[in-house]
Amino acid sequence: MGHMVSTELPPLARAESVLELADFDEVVRLYRTRIFRFLMASLSDRDVAESLTQDCFLKAYNARHQFRGESSLSTWLTRIALNLVRDHLRSRRMRFWQRTRDTALDIVDVGEWIPDGASSPEQVCLQQERVREIWKSVERLSRQQRTVFLLRFVEEMELAEIAETTGMNTSTVKSHLYRALRIVRDRASGKSEGEQ
Amino acid sequence: MLEPAGQFAADLRNLRSAVHRAADRQTAQPVPFGWLKAAKRRQRTSQHRVVLAWSLATACAALFCIGSLPLLRHAAPPAAEQKVIDVQPVVIDDTALLEQIDNTVSESVPSSLAPLDSLDNWSSTTSTNTESSLNAPEKKNVAQ
Repeated sequence: MGHMVSTELPPLARAESVLELADFDEVVRLYRTRIFRFLMASLSDRDVAESLTQDCFLKAYNARHQFRGESSLSTWLTRIALNLVRDHLRSRRMRFWQRTRDTALDIVDVGEWIPDGASSPEQVCLQQERVREIWKSVERLSRQQRTVFLLRFVEEMELAEIAETTGMNTSTVKSHLYRALRIVRDRASGKSEGEQ
Repeated sequence: MLEPAGQFAADLRNLRSAVHRAADRQTAQPVPFGWLKAAKRRQRTSQHRVVLAWSLATACAALFCIGSLPLLRHAAPPAAEQKVIDVQPVVIDDTALLEQIDNTVSESVPSSLAPLDSLDNWSSTTSTNTESSLNAPEKKNVAQ
């Protein structure tokens, strides 16, 4: 595949960073979708996710000296994205007068993106409805629960990797995941939290 | 318990597929040239905003200090007076004060003041004489 300079960042000398970061455009090409997906799922906003994806790669480029290769590049980038999500949510809380406009932005309707593998239109509608219900439940989880849930069930990360990315203990990750699963299952099945 | 099963697991798989497809669709286009320019601009703007906020805060603090200087200057004299007032009352024991007075009174008169001393003696004797002479007519009047 031909090398395409798209980020306008100077190419890194191999000595100043590890091998994986040597070609930053290649890093962007490989991990952009994954980071965008995580940000979009975390914020339910395509425009903000796109902006934060750019911020994430710029931060990674600027902080490339701090990457020692102790974790995978994917984990490192996800950790930067996670910090950006936290900062964004915090600043959105501070700018409460913009909340109406923010929520009115491009909200992702995941139900429309279900692969068409069902045998009948009724089944497709049913699946879409279930996925929408789950998605609504996920959006109402606490920030940490949602992060752990998305990393586990959307990004398919192992518990140890989630712990490394979020900086939590594995037992804390398990606890958040257990609670998140219980809440999502109960809400999706129409049970209130008091009925458990 | 952390691995869902049955219909819920299928729903989660559908959710994952939907999110993946939505993200893939969004990032299907190749990265445009100068993709990170906007991020750089945002970073610069936020840095400028931080610098501006700190400058503003510093300016406000300086203005506040300058504004409160006259107040501090006016407020200072009463504090000094209060200090003086606080220092003035010195407690002296009564007996010590009496002893001090006795010592001062019983001191011998210096030689240069000796004539005054004799004068003082003279005045004390004359005063007794004049008192007796003054009292005599009074006694007469009383007798009359």
